Amino acid sequence: MAKRDRIASDRPRSTAALFGHPIHPMLVPFPIVGFIGALLTDIAYARTANIMWANFSIWLITGGLVMAALAAIAGLTDYFGDTRIRNAPPALPHMLINITVVVIELFNAFVHSRDGWTSVVPTGLILSIIAVALLAVSGWLGGSLVFKYGVGTPR
Amino acid sequence: MRTLQHGLAVAAALAVTAALAGCGDGGSSFDRKTQIGPNPKLPAPHQYLIPPVRIAKVIGWAPGEHPVAPPGMRVQALAGDLQHPRNLTVLPNGDILVVESQGPNLDPVTRPKDLVMGWLQGRATSGGGGKPGPSNRITLLRDTNGDGVLEGRSVLLDHLNSPFGVVFADNYLYVAATDAILRYPFTPGQTRITARPTRLTELPGGPIDHHWTKSLTISPDGKLLYATVGSNSNIVENGIQAEYNRAAVWEVDRASGRSRIFATGLRNPNAPNFYPGTNTLWVVVNERDELGPNLVPDYLTSVRDGGFYGWPYSYYGRHLDPRVRPQRPDLVARAISPDYALSSHVAPLGLTFYTGDNLPAQYRGGAFIGEHGSWDRTQFNGYKVVFVPFANGRPSGMVQDFLTGFLAGGSTHGRPVGVAVDRAGALLVADDVGNMVWRVSRAG
Repeated sequence: MAKRDRIASDRPRSTAALFGHPIHPMLVPFPIVGFIGALLTDIAYARTANIMWANFSIWLITGGLVMAALAAIAGLTDYFGDTRIRNAPPALPHMLINITVVVIELFNAFVHSRDGWTSVVPTGLILSIIAVALLAVSGWLGGSLVFKYGVGTPR
Repeated sequence: MRTLQHGLAVAAALAVTAALAGCGDGGSSFDRKTQIGPNPKLPAPHQYLIPPVRIAKVIGWAPGEHPVAPPGMRVQALAGDLQHPRNLTVLPNGDILVVESQGPNLDPVTRPKDLVMGWLQGRATSGGGGKPGPSNRITLLRDTNGDGVLEGRSVLLDHLNSPFGVVFADNYLYVAATDAILRYPFTPGQTRITARPTRLTELPGGPIDHHWTKSLTISPDGKLLYATVGSNSNIVENGIQAEYNRAAVWEVDRASGRSRIFATGLRNPNAPNFYPGTNTLWVVVNERDELGPNLVPDYLTSVRDGGFYGWPYSYYGRHLDPRVRPQRPDLVARAISPDYALSSHVAPLGLTFYTGDNLPAQYRGGAFIGEHGSWDRTQFNGYKVVFVPFANGRPSGMVQDFLTGFLAGGSTHGRPVGVAVDRAGALLVADDVGNMVWRVSRAG
């Protein structure tokens, strides 16, 4: 810590970091891939009615949710750990949209835990589409935080 | 800042919980009597985010406690210290066979939900009195003078593969294990079978083996056996391939073991019985779950050769199940509506037609049904033995409670399963989590 303080950057600093590498961006690929994957397997199930795809969907959503919770802890730690992050305009919408995605996918997990066709069609598939659309927006905002505002990057 | 973070998390959790719980049961305002008899009222299917679930905690029976029969009847504990007794049969010499059985536990975890369901099922089928010991065996009880007090007790057969059905005929004992019908040479009076069995007919066992109880009965002419084979899922969520030759009643030639499918579309049929003096086969059937607390009613029905009774595509004739794709309009078009609804989720597993003369005359010719009790509704249903009056070989009136008092508030002492009539004409009831066999006879 002491060493880091000496090279204090003017760029927003990541509080939840391992040896200078922010943890949040290491974890977000899991829910991103999980939720997009679930949308794809939902589409495959809707087209084939092969229950294997619906089973893939619920595992992808469940795994995505677990990793999203860990990513959220790291993200919130960063958010509340440095005023400069909170002052970056994309930060608040990035957080709120991601929380919305997690809540939608939590509902989606329960819908996907029904048996058979209605575990996916139509409600599960619709929720997956909405969640992935929102992910694209929040992902872009997260990118802005790093590439425009330099969150967690060295001087 | 920490407080804000905490507040956000709590608010989100509360919102989600409220939204999930918002889908109430609705079971309390529903008159369950409207779902008994030939034309049950069927509400629209309702699928939940979290389906209503309530499982009675098993507390077992303290010494002296027993279920309650109508006035003028006497309830005796015929046998205790059993290990999950599920089915009963009475031999010509009066000996009583108790099938003690536990499921094979072959259901794989294919979804996260299966982990939760496995835990719930464990709660519903364990606990109660007695130490866990070896099950999957057949215990012989001997009550020579028919007074409800045993003169002998022995383990007739041991190390069976989740047995359920058992039939005696012509010096053979037929045992339906979960994967085969076994035939043992047997003479009534024997208290132990050491002979190796013949595997008469293979039945669908694993993989999965979701509904594992294979019941058995014999045709009036003694030539054919009828075995029930339950579905491998609630509503084909394990794929239609897993349902091959399941949700069906099988007919088996007793001499050769050759089999054919007698009737289909029966989700979890159990306790096949020919109505006395007829060639009409009856079964009780556990219908599908997770369409609401009042859907789909379980039922008692006669079974026609070649008949299709709906599962999985439809229920009560042509009421389509929205969860099944692809649908089969060709099968639904000829789906038979069952004879007599018993109300939703009562879980009938035992059936016997009463032909004895110990109980009052009103019971002669009617059906006793063991209702194991509900889990997927918030108001308990079942958990008792009921009586359905018959006239001219058909159900002729409202269900009557016969043996109650299993439930104790939110807990249960036991759960009735198989029923049989002993040589003296008393009704016997297997109680699988109470680990008892109860005997109900006329008092005095």
